[in-house]
Amino acid sequence: METIVSILFSGVFNASTLFLVAAGLQVVFGVQKVFNLACGSFYALGAYFGIVVVKSFVAGGFSKPLFILPLIGAGLLLGVIGPIVERGLIKFVYDRDETFQLLLTFAIVMMIEDVIKFIWGTSPQTTGGIDLIYGRLNLFGATLPVYNLVVILCSLIIAALIGYILLNTKFGRIIRATADKKEMGEALGINMKKVYIKVFTLGTVLGTLGGALVIPATAVVSEMGVELIVLAFAVVVIGGLGSMKGAFIGALIVGVLKSVAIFTYPELEMLTIYIIVIAVLVIKPQGLFGGSKV
Amino acid sequence: MKPWQEIMSLKSTKAIILIVVGLLFLGLPLFASQYVSYLMLTFFAYAIMVLGLNLLLGYTGLLSFGHAFFMAIGAYTAAFLTGKFSILYMEVILVVAVIISSLLAALIGLVCVRYIKIYFAMLTLAFGMLFYSFLLKFYYLTGGDEGMRVLRPYLLGFNLSEIPKMQFLTGNYYLYCFFVFALLVFVMWKIVSSPFGLCLKAIRDNPEKAEYLGISVKRYRWYAFIISGAYAAIGGALLAPAIGQVDPGLTYWTHSGTLVFMTLLGGFENFFGPLIGGVVYIFLQDKVMSLTTYWRFIFGAILAFLVIVAPGGIAGVISSLVKKEKRGE
Amino acid sequence: MEKTRREFVKLVGGAALGAGALLAAGGKARAQTAPAKGVPAERVKIGAMPGLTGVIGVPGTAAWRATQIWADEVNAAGGILGRKVELHMEEETTAKECVERFKKLTLEKKCDVIVGLMSTGNGLAVGPLAEELGQLWLSWDGTTQKGVEETMPKTKFAFKSIDNEAEAIGGAILTAKYFPKIKTIAGINNDYSYGRDCWEAFQAVLKHFNPNVKAVEALWPKLGETDFTSHIAALKKAKPDLIMTSFWSGDVPILMKQAAAVGLFKTIKGCFTTGGGVHYTLKKEFTPDGLILGYNSMYFKWTDTWPLLTRFVKTYHDKYKEYPVYECDHAYFVLQAYKAAVEKCYSILGKWPTKEEIGKALSGIQVPSLSGYRGYREDNIMTCNFFMGITTHKNPYDFVTIDPVEVLTPSQIIKPTAGTKLYEWIKGWKS
Repeated sequence: METIVSILFSGVFNASTLFLVAAGLQVVFGVQKVFNLACGSFYALGAYFGIVVVKSFVAGGFSKPLFILPLIGAGLLLGVIGPIVERGLIKFVYDRDETFQLLLTFAIVMMIEDVIKFIWGTSPQTTGGIDLIYGRLNLFGATLPVYNLVVILCSLIIAALIGYILLNTKFGRIIRATADKKEMGEALGINMKKVYIKVFTLGTVLGTLGGALVIPATAVVSEMGVELIVLAFAVVVIGGLGSMKGAFIGALIVGVLKSVAIFTYPELEMLTIYIIVIAVLVIKPQGLFGGSKV
Repeated sequence: MKPWQEIMSLKSTKAIILIVVGLLFLGLPLFASQYVSYLMLTFFAYAIMVLGLNLLLGYTGLLSFGHAFFMAIGAYTAAFLTGKFSILYMEVILVVAVIISSLLAALIGLVCVRYIKIYFAMLTLAFGMLFYSFLLKFYYLTGGDEGMRVLRPYLLGFNLSEIPKMQFLTGNYYLYCFFVFALLVFVMWKIVSSPFGLCLKAIRDNPEKAEYLGISVKRYRWYAFIISGAYAAIGGALLAPAIGQVDPGLTYWTHSGTLVFMTLLGGFENFFGPLIGGVVYIFLQDKVMSLTTYWRFIFGAILAFLVIVAPGGIAGVISSLVKKEKRGE
Repeated sequence: MEKTRREFVKLVGGAALGAGALLAAGGKARAQTAPAKGVPAERVKIGAMPGLTGVIGVPGTAAWRATQIWADEVNAAGGILGRKVELHMEEETTAKECVERFKKLTLEKKCDVIVGLMSTGNGLAVGPLAEELGQLWLSWDGTTQKGVEETMPKTKFAFKSIDNEAEAIGGAILTAKYFPKIKTIAGINNDYSYGRDCWEAFQAVLKHFNPNVKAVEALWPKLGETDFTSHIAALKKAKPDLIMTSFWSGDVPILMKQAAAVGLFKTIKGCFTTGGGVHYTLKKEFTPDGLILGYNSMYFKWTDTWPLLTRFVKTYHDKYKEYPVYECDHAYFVLQAYKAAVEKCYSILGKWPTKEEIGKALSGIQVPSLSGYRGYREDNIMTCNFFMGITTHKNPYDFVTIDPVEVLTPSQIIKPTAGTKLYEWIKGWKS
């Protein structure tokens, strides 16, 4: 029982962070059809910035357990790079072939990597032990850090929020309706430019928030943005490109699968994931929930 | 039309330029430094690889983010044959590399060519990374992260191991690679000028129409995929003895990204574009990496610039300059 | 252990006096502004190849910084035999690019010597190249026992680093000393040659002291993994008495943090053979005391009686706001060795020596570096002492340090020649 709880919990924790990055990827792809390779880089930026904010918060003498508030704030605040990247670079390639868009985001990955190196250097950094303040929980013999639970909870809340926005708000309806149909949106009098900016910003914020939330439980390392793309990519393939539900379920599958592999047959961790990706792409390329035509 | 543009658009001019460039390449080791000659040697290998990539990208409209996979196959073939099986004949290595990569390309191609655009790019990326994991995991076979040694092969049956390394590389091996390169350029030219090549272009421009006209879109893409894979493998097999060691990094997805970058830089809608891109990239990277440790940023910016402003690459810029005046007449 | 330690402290005391004298003499005699007789006037070109991004970026950056500090110090004192030094840096990335960069530094920049490289694969590619080009290459790191055994038994120009499993061997020796009663162990190591070799060596040595020890779990996260929650849960389930890891980069603080979150090391002992490579990230908040922690060839607080160390730590900390790590010592040492070899040749020949002559002088040389005397064996492989100890919170920093500090000598942890088979050597130990 303890084992199952452990596997599930670590798998779900893994999944929470993956979900946030993948959701950022999905929302942008769903509307603008741009596969943003830089989603991992935004995540890394959120993590680095989160450390800076938490350190200042603690140094400022504020109440330690409240650190999660400025952390979330940091993630949200950094979303400001969204519109900058979108207006500065992405908007030029909306009319182009998808492959060009992919290449542009690849260029952004390279640039952000060096920006991070320039600002923060290459040494690993942490927020210290501040996440330990929240203590531990004992469930069926398995020890679970409460902070990780908080992260999972935040992801769930965000998932629910996104679901609510998509289903119940005007903005959400526009997103769903005009996905892939820019001309129709414009014909209906919707300012697609504004929609694009908003959507890209949303995608960015999901990434930066994900990075900020996770960082107290881990450490930043150089190139973490590049590493994460591969996993995020696996998630969206399995879940289906463009689908939010897909990002959720896909993240769960990849997260739990990775956890199971580590417990049972650690040798095959990464291989399993790639094989599943290829299998999904072959058997059902739209993934579990993807709708768009291949 | 300005006189220089008039001359530029003549077919015979193009032929003369080709011959001059060819002679320059041939004679380079005589007047350039050893290091520059070595860089040109790597260019020949990369040029073959990007020619193959461009068959897919420029002529068939498919972006592969796993091209480095086939290159690595060629490189590891050279390592296995020379290192583990003591087969040192370069010609054998090249033939085996072509066979293995064609078989793999045929298999993988069956899966990949059903899809286009993003899915094709993603699938090829996944296969490339799968091979990367495989090379790392099965270290008993492949040497894992340490890689494998590549011994000096016999060229045309001659055992040249007595010659000092740099002399070998910038002399005999350079010539050998140049001739293989020239031959493969010629072969590729024939391929894209043939009816097969025209079909590919038709598929790129309008797949539904091509299908309607009776061209089996999937089959032709498959053929293109196999040829491009074979080219990449030859490039990899030529590169391996020059480096002396192969390692899994050769198939990492960012290496595929570099190949795409080269192709885009030179211009993928042009036959010679990728070759221009290859030589510019290699020498540019050499210069920039010496100047700053933030070369990734610079290259990212160049790539972004290319994509946004000059998607036709260098060749695109040149040909638009020529065409502009022509149309303006 | 005690005897050798006493011997070593004596050696250090004497060396400290010697080093002090050297430094004093050096300060005066070498403030020449012109090159010595028979020595060319142009600067000495030193090529350096540090890895600056990714996991290798942490020690790579440290080594590059140490190289630059050394160059500044030497130039301020007048250079080598009056010739100032000039650094040419090319990044260490993949094997293919390393080979290119090495050729460039040798053929284009015409470097007199090239230092650097830390990855095993890159070393295997560059080693034969150095021999073929006749270029002096002094490696910082990156050789495993296997790499040394197989490829180049007798080199003239390629000088390799320490057989890398030394830290695992040292870790096992200390484990046997401080935790003699453990019965089960688990390992979590990176899934590549170094990680595998360390785990094998650790087990072999431990079994020599404690034949009944059993390994109950072995995990192999890839290099660059950033989340170990699943791994930690698996380790907890296996219930070992001790967990060993050879992590050396950003993964150390992550593992430590995530382990602290579930209290892993409250009941289980730990041996971090190479964790000292990022020691300043191991904050007290999440790093318990009582763990074995290895600092490879340099512990920044080893002693106050070795001026080279004290001065270096201060310079490094003032400049970079961080405390130096072992790679700094490797980088510093190779340059010290080069300088000493050149000077030795000059005192015999009266002119600037050729690369081959310098190579001969380097074999068997002993020079003062940041952590005492260290040198190259006759077969051109580095030797040095290793510093490991038990973590403690009793210090003025926000990260852990070690107390007591065990100094492990080469005879204890490095196999005597390149030709010796590692596991046969371990089996042959008397105690």
